[in-house]
This record gives sequence, C-alpha cells and structure tokens, in this order.
Amino acid sequence: MGFLRFLGFTVVRAGQGFWRNKMMSLAATATVILMLVLLSGLVIVLGGLNSGLAYIESKVGVTARLVDGLAPEAVDQLVADVRALPGVASVEYVSPDEAMRRLEQAYADRGQTLETGGSDISLYASIEVALTDPAAATSVSAALGERPEIERITTIQEQYDKLLGVTNVVRLAGLSAMILVGLTVVFMIVNTIRIAVFSRSREIEIMRLVGASDAFIRWPFIMEGMLCGLLGAVFTVLLVALVWGPIQPLLIEIFQMPTAVGAQFFTFVAVLILSVGLVVGMLGSWISVRAHLAAGV
Amino acid sequence: MTDGRSVTRARPAGGSLIGDEPLIRLVDVTVTYPNGKEALINVDLEIRRGDFIFLVGPSGAGKSTLIRLLIREQVATSGRVYLAGRDLARVSRSQVHRLRRRIGVVFQDFRLLPNKTVRENVAFALEVTGAPLDEIRRRVPRLLALVGLEDQAQQLPAQLSGGEQQRAAIARALVHDPAILIADEPTGNLDPVTGWEIVQLLLEINALGTTLVVATHNQEIVTALRRRVVALEQGRMVRDEVGAAYRRG
Repeated sequence: MGFLRFLGFTVVRAGQGFWRNKMMSLAATATVILMLVLLSGLVIVLGGLNSGLAYIESKVGVTARLVDGLAPEAVDQLVADVRALPGVASVEYVSPDEAMRRLEQAYADRGQTLETGGSDISLYASIEVALTDPAAATSVSAALGERPEIERITTIQEQYDKLLGVTNVVRLAGLSAMILVGLTVVFMIVNTIRIAVFSRSREIEIMRLVGASDAFIRWPFIMEGMLCGLLGAVFTVLLVALVWGPIQPLLIEIFQMPTAVGAQFFTFVAVLILSVGLVVGMLGSWISVRAHLAAGV
Repeated sequence: MTDGRSVTRARPAGGSLIGDEPLIRLVDVTVTYPNGKEALINVDLEIRRGDFIFLVGPSGAGKSTLIRLLIREQVATSGRVYLAGRDLARVSRSQVHRLRRRIGVVFQDFRLLPNKTVRENVAFALEVTGAPLDEIRRRVPRLLALVGLEDQAQQLPAQLSGGEQQRAAIARALVHDPAILIADEPTGNLDPVTGWEIVQLLLEINALGTTLVVATHNQEIVTALRRRVVALEQGRMVRDEVGAAYRRG
C-alpha cells in the first residue's frame, strides 16, 4: 500500500513536471526519437546483413568451371574424385544445357525473357561442390586447382568475406553515430531535468523541511526523464510499425536474399527501442538528480 | 504560564519522555565556515520538553546557524548536538528525513507554495512523506481548525493576509505532531497586531505540549512575555535567562 502511494505520487508528479516544463520535455523527447530512429535503422540494416551472412554461410561451396570438350568419362571420374575429398557433401555436374536452362529460369523468375539477339550462346560446363563444413572451402579449392580438367574456381567465400567487411563497417559507423547521438540525448535530458529541479526548488526545500525522504524528492524527477524516454520510444515504435511493411521489398532488393526482418524481428526491434528509451531517460535524469539534488549534509 | 518551564504539559508531543533528559542539548558547539568565520563559539544549551524559548541577538549573531544545526541542515564543526539523546552528527543522511518529522519549522517569509490552496499546502507535507489518504483527510482539517483557518482552506496564499499565511505555515509545520517547533522571525513580516496574534497561537501550541524555539528581533513581545531568553552575540551565548526582557549588549 505504501509503495503504491509512493508510485502514484511519483507518477503524478512526473507527469505534472513534464507538462509544466513542456518545451524542454518535448525537445528532449524529440532527441530521444532521433536517437531511436537511428538505432532502429541500424538494427534493421545489421539484421539484414547478418541474415545475408547466415544465408551465404549456409550455401558456402565451390564452383569449378570445366575446360571445353571434356569427355563424359573424364567428367564422371572428376566428380567421383571430388566427392571423395574430405569436407565435401555433394558434387553436381552442371552441363552447358543445364546452365542455360537455369539462366532462362532466373530470367523467367524476374518476369523477363532471355534475349540473345539471335546469336546462339553456349555456357560453360561446371561442377558445384557443396561442403559439409564452410572451413573446407580452402582445401577443396586447392585440390581442384591441381586438376587439369578445371579451368577456373570460384567460391562463395569471397562473397561472404566481402559482405562481412560491409557488415563490420556498417556496425562500426552505426555504433559510433549511436554513441554520439546517445550522448546528446543524455545531455538533453540532464538539462531538462536540471531546469525542472530549479523550477521546483521551493517545493524541494519544503519537502526536505517536512521530512520527505530522498526517494520522494528524487524519483519524480527520474520518472520525468523516463517519461521523455518512454514517449520517444513509443513514438519510434509506431513510426517503425508504419514503415515496416513498405520497407520489406526494399530490404530484399538491397540484400538480394531473404532477410530475417519478419514479425519476430519487429518484436525484437520494438522491445529494444522501448528498453533503450527508458534506460537513456533514466540515466540522464539520474545524472541530473545526482548533480543537482545533493541533499544537505 | 509566566515561565516556559512551568507550562502544563498536556501531552508529550512527538514521542515519549525519556526520564528527565533534555529534548535538545548542545555541548560546547562551535561552527566554523570554510572562510574561517566562526558562526557559533563554544555554545552550551539545554532545552527541555515543553519549554518556550526566545532566541535573540543581532543579525549575524548565529541564530540562523543554531536553527540549521537543530534541523540538521548543518553539522557542528566541533561539539555535540543531541535531540532526545540522539547525537545529530551520527544520524545518517538516509535517516535525516525521519528526524525532520520531529521538528517543525516556520519562517518569516512563510514559504507556502503559491499554486496550492491552504488545504493543499498542509496536505502536501503529509503527501510527500507517504501518509495514507485517510490520515491526510483526518489531520488537515484538524490542523486548519487549530490555527483558525477552516474558512480559508480553499484559498490560495496570495488571497490571504500575512497573518493568515503564517498560520497556514504553522499548520503545515505541525503535520507530523513534532516534538519541537522552531519559528525563525515568525512576526518579522507582520504588523504589530497580527504579530501578537501569531505569538498567541504559538503560546497555545506550546500549552498543548510542543516545545517552542522562537528566533526574533521583536523586543516588545520578548519583554512582555517574560519567557526564557537565550541571547547570542558574535557566535557566543551571552545570556540564558528565565523570565527575562529583551536587552541589547
């Protein structure tokens, strides 16, 4: 009962404080929104990149282009030899006809027709090696490189490394931006609460004189900072929910693969936004209250 | 009722009597500010329950410092200050608020919240200490009746006279039924007639058992009432007399 009274008092006072000091409170809330929108963008982009990495990792294999005019027996022998290599899950021979069929299918999937301009094109034959362990890509590539039937080797490992590099850059740049914006937000909240403390200095003095505990004096201000954070977070979640649908095709277009940005990922982003909003609001007001409400002796 | 020590103690306010122990005891108290100024020098003082004391002295004599020591806004540089046997220097920061509920304070400038009515100003002192609603509903009208402000309960401080504002401040100071009420120049902002009315109210509160410490420059009131007078000058206690008049030097 006592705690409920305390909670009620704190929440009401925080709301009153937010409203009385509304210009500063709204400015602080706006910076919280800015930070959380940036955070959401970063998390969504990183989510897409990470799922792209996971997709590639699951597909890591080796593709080897064969020299022209290889006899069927030689192909069979090559396939049998490669299949015996450690770390190899399966080996598939892709004939020039099969390669053409796949190319036409890829065009058809996009709603287009492969136009060759009347010329008769012929694709290379190749073997596609699936691996049981992505780490085996190097040894399998080396073994294939020694075979005279192989003209050129490509692995998805290169693609994976490239995407990993991009992901790391985005992660670093995003985190740096987040730290800068985060510090700005904390600074804004510190100032907002400082003004609130000054504007209520008479009340605080009276509260001390009549024997209010530190908790009764401090928590309304901390709650006021949390209110800025929470309002900013709720607004950001609504904003993200609004654009969630429209950005899905864009994300798939950018990352060129199915991304993990489904309903479950949205829940994760929403919970993250709300938590960060509350924590930043609380941190800013806590710093302010500590600095400006040092109680007597 | 000519002597603070002989006031009938209707009930011991703010806690039980522990033997014949003084409510407040200062033992060789010195307060030195960081700039080297000595605000109080070797002060010894005992205040018993039910006492009514005038604290007099010119500005800068140390009256405010003494009050700040009593409400534990400040601690002595040396010496000891006890409230009901408890050394105030040993009261931890987290416990100071409990101590302050045993001490009511009123000031010359009333310090009411201008955007709250009289009733809300008094109730506020209970709300911020977590008092239950039914207690607030019960106590506030009683306190307003005690200070004669039932009819002004819904008015804002700006709508009240100075005397009424001081009455509201006194009602607020009494919300926790304190053992001691400290009044710092309670008549300083009031005309003589209103000042006397406030002093009468303080005497009534004292008669109900609350110890009173009144810091004042009002010579007429001090001399007329002939209560115990503690005089400070340049930080030293120069007089502690029962039934005394206001006297300079």
